[in-house]
Amino acid sequence: MSTDIQTLKSLDLFAGLNFGELEQIAPLMHPMKVTEGEVLTRKGEIASTFFIILSGNFMLSFNEERSFTLHNKGNIIGLSTVVSPFRYTATAVALTDGLVLFMQGQEFLRLVQSNSALGDKIMRKINEIVLERMPYMTGTWEKRRY
Amino acid sequence: MFGFEAIIAHDGLGISVIGISIVFVSLILLSFAVSRIHKLIELWDKKYTSYQRVKKTQQKDQKTPSVSDLAIPQDVQRASRQFKLLIEWIGEPFPLPKLLDLSGKCGLSRPHSTVNELLKCELIIPDENGYYVWNKQLEEKRSST
Repeated sequence: MSTDIQTLKSLDLFAGLNFGELEQIAPLMHPMKVTEGEVLTRKGEIASTFFIILSGNFMLSFNEERSFTLHNKGNIIGLSTVVSPFRYTATAVALTDGLVLFMQGQEFLRLVQSNSALGDKIMRKINEIVLERMPYMTGTWEKRRY
Repeated sequence: MFGFEAIIAHDGLGISVIGISIVFVSLILLSFAVSRIHKLIELWDKKYTSYQRVKKTQQKDQKTPSVSDLAIPQDVQRASRQFKLLIEWIGEPFPLPKLLDLSGKCGLSRPHSTVNELLKCELIIPDENGYYVWNKQLEEKRSST
């Protein structure tokens, strides 16, 4: 089952996209229920799936057990699907039951590579998120509140 | 009277010039209006999106109660004592995955959602270095009230 355009439009990652671009993404994104304690990604594994949170609470844990939690609709898990070396940098665990949208990493990568305008818009936002999460990955801290 | 004579006699040339002028002026005005339509649409779009943004912010504000307003449910209060003991054992600041792992091993029920509740109540707070601490101030404040 694919996702409707209105749901995609309400997500921060896709907020700047036009109807035609959202129409390209919609068939690739699928809803999935998650249960408390479920592991969505494992650190070090090949990044095969990209997730966007619709509801629920999640924890991302990085090297040396540094972690932060995600509680908002539109938060993203699995950025490594479009960022080299395409391996998950964090383990994502559901703290509560919830609902996520998922897309296969290969399809996501193909999408951003095949349509430069669309890819540019999405990758800009992804880069911002990567920068925010960088301290958790590297352990090098600047004064930054997540 | 026929031909040009008749036209001139009845002011035909003047009427033709006026007619042609009216048609061309109308066409110029129409083409100008058409060329400005995109600006009008842009304005309308902006008005609509800013209205939506304001509406969304208002809805968000109404929906999300501030954390300080949240009361700690009784079962979480009970679980918090157990979690506090575990945190004391780990030492502060502590990694959240370690707390989850340990609470699971100790057989605490639904450790993930309990930790989430403790985070929501701000009894567990991030130290901005990727680790967490027990919020003693909040605990003291709550126990004194």
